[in-house]
Amino acid sequence: MTRVMARSGRAQVPTLTAQETASPAPHRGSGERRAWVHTAIGVVILAVLLFPLYWMINASFQASGALLKPEPSYFPTSFTLDGYRSTFATQGGNVVTSLVVSLGTVVITLLLATPAAYALAKLRVPGRTSLMLVVITVQMIPGIVMANALYIVFARLGLIDNYLGLMLADATTAVPFAILIMRAFMQDIPQEIMEAARIDGAGELGVFRSIILPMSRNSIITAGLFAFLHGWSDFLFAVTLTTGSAFTPVTVGIYRFMGAQTADWNGVMATATVASIPAVFLLILAQKYIAAGITGGAVKE
Amino acid sequence: MTTGTHRITRTSTPPRKLMALGAGILGTSLALSACSGTTAPGASSAGAAASVAPASSITEIDYFTDATSSDAFKKVLDTCSAQTGVTIQRQSLPLKELLPKVLQGASSGTMPDLAFVDNVNVQQLAETGALTPVDDYGFDLSGYVKGIVDATTLDGKNYGVSPAINTLALFYNKKMFADAGLTPPTTWDELKKDAAALTSGSRYGFAVSAPASEEGTWQFLPFFWSNGGDLTKLTDAPSVEALTYLTSFVKDGSMSQSVVNWAQADVADQFIAGNAAMMINGPWNISKIDKSGKVEYGIIPIPTPKAGQDPVVPLGGEVGVIPATGGATQAAAAEVLKCMTADAQMLEWAQGNTRIAPRGSTATEEIKALPVLAPFATTVKTARARTTGLGAKYPVISQALWTAIQSALTGAQSPEAALQAAQQSVG
Amino acid sequence: MATIDRTGVRGRDMRSRTHRREYLVGLAFGVPAAVYVVAFFGYPLFYNVLMGFQNYTPRSFYTGEAPFVGLANYQTVISSPTFWPAVWHTAVFTVGSIVFQFAIGLGLALYFARRFPLSGLLRAMLLLPWLLPLIVSSAIWRWMYDKDYGVVNALLKLVPGVHAGVPWLTQGRWALVAIIIANIWIGIPFNMVILHGGLQGISADIYEAAKLDGAGSWQRFRYMTWPLLKPVTLVVLMLGLVYTIKVFDVIMGLTGGGPANQTQTLTTWSYQYSFQLFKFGPGAAVSNLLIVAATLGGLLYLRSLRRSGGAR
Repeated sequence: MTRVMARSGRAQVPTLTAQETASPAPHRGSGERRAWVHTAIGVVILAVLLFPLYWMINASFQASGALLKPEPSYFPTSFTLDGYRSTFATQGGNVVTSLVVSLGTVVITLLLATPAAYALAKLRVPGRTSLMLVVITVQMIPGIVMANALYIVFARLGLIDNYLGLMLADATTAVPFAILIMRAFMQDIPQEIMEAARIDGAGELGVFRSIILPMSRNSIITAGLFAFLHGWSDFLFAVTLTTGSAFTPVTVGIYRFMGAQTADWNGVMATATVASIPAVFLLILAQKYIAAGITGGAVKE
Repeated sequence: MTTGTHRITRTSTPPRKLMALGAGILGTSLALSACSGTTAPGASSAGAAASVAPASSITEIDYFTDATSSDAFKKVLDTCSAQTGVTIQRQSLPLKELLPKVLQGASSGTMPDLAFVDNVNVQQLAETGALTPVDDYGFDLSGYVKGIVDATTLDGKNYGVSPAINTLALFYNKKMFADAGLTPPTTWDELKKDAAALTSGSRYGFAVSAPASEEGTWQFLPFFWSNGGDLTKLTDAPSVEALTYLTSFVKDGSMSQSVVNWAQADVADQFIAGNAAMMINGPWNISKIDKSGKVEYGIIPIPTPKAGQDPVVPLGGEVGVIPATGGATQAAAAEVLKCMTADAQMLEWAQGNTRIAPRGSTATEEIKALPVLAPFATTVKTARARTTGLGAKYPVISQALWTAIQSALTGAQSPEAALQAAQQSVG
Repeated sequence: MATIDRTGVRGRDMRSRTHRREYLVGLAFGVPAAVYVVAFFGYPLFYNVLMGFQNYTPRSFYTGEAPFVGLANYQTVISSPTFWPAVWHTAVFTVGSIVFQFAIGLGLALYFARRFPLSGLLRAMLLLPWLLPLIVSSAIWRWMYDKDYGVVNALLKLVPGVHAGVPWLTQGRWALVAIIIANIWIGIPFNMVILHGGLQGISADIYEAAKLDGAGSWQRFRYMTWPLLKPVTLVVLMLGLVYTIKVFDVIMGLTGGGPANQTQTLTTWSYQYSFQLFKFGPGAAVSNLLIVAATLGGLLYLRSLRRSGGAR
């Protein structure tokens, strides 16, 4: 009974509150205040966890070497925008490139992984276990081995300096992961709902489209998010499968500020900061969808 | 789960599906390996290079990625592209990624026509057979520093030409020395005393770079070689003495233990920030130090064990190599490389990148314009190439040595024990 | 195609047809991914396994020749004095990272599951450590950990009673702790996001019912949240295992596997063999051992799935 109830999703309801009392109707004023206390604690948690990031931004505004003092300056006292200036001037296009590649990776990953996850979770496909084991195992192949092998094949197929090639390569890091994550989530979809749909005459594709996909929205978005991040932060395939003459993802563009013996850390940090901004926007967007929860009402209590 | 009735309708069993998968993998890979692994395309045309018309465009790869070096290098490439009429498709990668890329190219028959690699890698690349001897193209190497020619020579054939070289020297903070009433050191004893005297508060007297990479070995070699150390005899007395000497700086507190984590760039940052009074480093830092405007510095040759000796320093620098990619592209690459190593371009590149020109006469010109490079130009004449006589064995020895250095500097092992472990791992 | 049992009850007939349809549909849904996996991973896997049995040098890249040496590479690797330390470091690094990444990630997921102003924004920003290029993260941590000039020691010295800085990256034991902490920091968002997704899938109604029955928050967590979260927990731990064993950039950026191999893990060691010593055979051997380790982890995962009734 608990399991069934667990699977009927609910939207917009807080799931856990540690200090909630048994009183059914808390006074509105104290509830609001309590909410802001949570926010304050949340901000403190964020500050502690993101301190290294703050340190990076601090460094990016200062002259190089300014942080190399026994008592480092916690605030940028010597302000310089040089790093940011050179970053905007040179990396803007690379950010767009990375965006395109990442979005393509998401599309490819979801197209391949979502049906496969469903098949592994719900449909009685023989050899399911072996396929899952393969999917787990292939993630261990070292990236450089993948890069070497893919380079050889792509060079032959003319897929070097090719957007689609890079997207397909980046998807290798995302597809196994997406399959496993979505499968784990899809497992919980109650069989009864699917049976009901089938009895109502829906074909398998219909079941997939109208039941599975909506109910898996959380995991699909999560998998898509990670696919995006894999594509965005990939360096190895970006460096291997491009020659710099066509397009340059932002992870490779960062080397404009790093040489064999010198590193302009202002520029590096500035690039990292600037490069993170689009991804942050997307994260916030994606988080909104995940927070909305699974569409409820599929199983009447 | 399943009941007996359902089992009848199962049409395949897991093992069979596994076999199908295995066959698929095997089939794909067999097909692919049959296609790849082609033999060297231009191997036979090495001798014919002189008589083939040069191609009109070549692919190039180098490791000058940061904006300053990259722009300076691009200028030279553009000049030579205009002079030779060859279009140059350039790719620049960090050094760590450059070698895998070159190897990938070797695998798939897509090597660049002209590659600039670290001199340490030339002999190893040459051993693979992928490079063509530069003797075939009629380069004039008269006046070249002997060390760099040694570095690129394998079995009597020369496989590369360098546009710029560098080495190590001692940088010192003039103001700190003046304040302490000291003169710059010339012997090991003096270096030790000065470092101790200049260590105060949060400032260390001396700094080197000793990370778990080639930089660690590279920075130790001046001490190692100047004391008579031999890379094939890591456990001999001169080697142990050299490591004991370096370790003593950490022991008496005049060098930070953090040096095992500092790349040369980090050491330079420390020097600029005033956290180290002296550092061992190379000429590429000069523009960075000048730009910071924080340090009045001097450069002198690295102190030697005894007075009156000449330091034996390692040779650094990039080398242009011409892989076997076909007669036409090889000829074109050779033309471009000849242009890049002509006096005018060599001077421009060495100055733009604050390195030393490998041709003696050009170096003299360079020193007139940049006198601060004089100590480097002098010592580089007698610098030693790391791979001389060792070829592909060098990386193994180097790794063993940098591990031993770290072990000794962090106190994990005594210098003697560390070097013994190193010699054992080399085999 | 007729079923074998001609006299079968119509129900059985229908079921078998359903199963066949399910099987075909399952194939259709799974084939694109299967083809992709075989096509893109098959060759690299084969290549790596083969290389473990060969004497593969840079020359082999060019000429394609790589003499077969049987198990010699594996012998070299296992008899090396670095082997067992590397295994130990890998184990400590992996367990240390996963335990804390998971615990903190779960804690954050639980905390931020409530709705309060800005919870969504804060939760999104907690993903930032994951977004940074690893070059940048490792550089930041390297500066922060500097014994004399790093901010970590500067902050530590503010604590009464702490006088000297910790030799974070220069002493073996501390170096291992240092890279684990940095790796935890990088890995928390991963755990938090997935666990958050899992938590969102648990209905609030059951908590309401439990509260009315008088269940305290710890009881609610232990007897309701935790078991319901099991499938997600399992997959997060298993993926965490795979990803943590593979960690490379963080360790290389912070210590390079040093000082003196004291933070060398199997992955960094494999890299050292291949790209610093140019001995690709032993390098592949080490990474093949890791692949075996991951396969074992996967088998464990699948078994616990079956036991918890997940694989129906």
